Amino acid sequence: MKSDEPSLARLMAMAQQGDRLAYHTLLMECRVWLKRYFARRVAPNHLEDLVQETLLALHRKLATYDPSRAFLPWLAAIARYRWVDQLRRVYRTSEIELEDEFIGSSDEPAIVARISLERLFAQLPSAQAQAIELVKIEGLSVAEASRACGQSESLIKVNIHRGLKKLTAMIERA
Amino acid sequence: MSRDSNSLITELVGGLKPVRPLRLSGGLSFALAGLGVTLAAVALLFGFRADVLAGNFDPVFLLATGLFFLLGLAASATVIVMSRPHVGSDHSGWRWAAAMAALLPIAAIITGLKRGPAAMSAAGAGHGLDCLIAGSALGLLVAAALVWWLRRGAPTSPERAGLLTGIAAGSFGIFAFSFHCQYNDIVHIGLWHGLAVAVSAGLGRLFVPRLIRW
Repeated sequence: MKSDEPSLARLMAMAQQGDRLAYHTLLMECRVWLKRYFARRVAPNHLEDLVQETLLALHRKLATYDPSRAFLPWLAAIARYRWVDQLRRVYRTSEIELEDEFIGSSDEPAIVARISLERLFAQLPSAQAQAIELVKIEGLSVAEASRACGQSESLIKVNIHRGLKKLTAMIERA
Repeated sequence: MSRDSNSLITELVGGLKPVRPLRLSGGLSFALAGLGVTLAAVALLFGFRADVLAGNFDPVFLLATGLFFLLGLAASATVIVMSRPHVGSDHSGWRWAAAMAALLPIAAIITGLKRGPAAMSAAGAGHGLDCLIAGSALGLLVAAALVWWLRRGAPTSPERAGLLTGIAAGSFGIFAFSFHCQYNDIVHIGLWHGLAVAVSAGLGRLFVPRLIRW
């Protein structure tokens, strides 16, 4: 099954009616889609966790999908929510390189580009985006991030706080 | 979370049960049923105004209750729509209803300033406080209905959903209490009835998000 929007929407509508085969196919397709979706904005060692958390959220919130509307914008909203939630959790990782295999498919359909994390992230002021990227995505400490970008440590903290707040408010904005 | 995603998917598929998609009409009916019960509570506990029962409506009463009802409806509808996430959705329509309802306190302030200190007598303030407390408290049922709906849904902005739940609850609460409140004075309605909405909005913004995070 090709994971295009109409097929996914149809599978989801069938899953809402209790079709387990359709649901299994849908979840497998969603797993692939989510890995690609998150890859640019999540450290590799957190990618699998985030994908699983999003699949779990999809399962719990199955009834919130409206079968008369497109599926991917619904999945993207859930994915963005889980992503911002993960950014809130402070973590530090030694592994900061993002996996190239998931990055940069230039033939993305327009709808995927419109619901991408890049588009959401691009709406942040650059100082806030930089602070979140360095500390929450690349896993630097506040002090390291401060040295890397020239913002003071307190400004880094303020920018992370404000940036995450802004991301939460903009999750459904295309 | 450290298990293999294949086993997670198998587990989720095994636990699949048919679900009925959340509908705007279902949520709205639920909120309006809450408003209906609230109106019945006002009739039973406080009694309706004699002029309303007689079918004589004061124009200020009609305008104010109409604006509060529309604000409650717009905020409720937005809350219900917010329970179904979708990138590209715009949840800002309620602001127009809020702007129109804000004309009431603005008119109250302008009128109050012209009247001077007499506009805010101690007796008037006492009655105003009754409206503020009753209007906010009467919104609790609608608030509970909307919170329950949001918990079934997946609001991606719990803070905004909380604020709107408060606005909807306060607007419907004071709308219902207006059928008892004897005052047609724009200063009383604009300030005290408007304050009931503002207080509910603040309480909603403060307490609802922690109840609806997912």
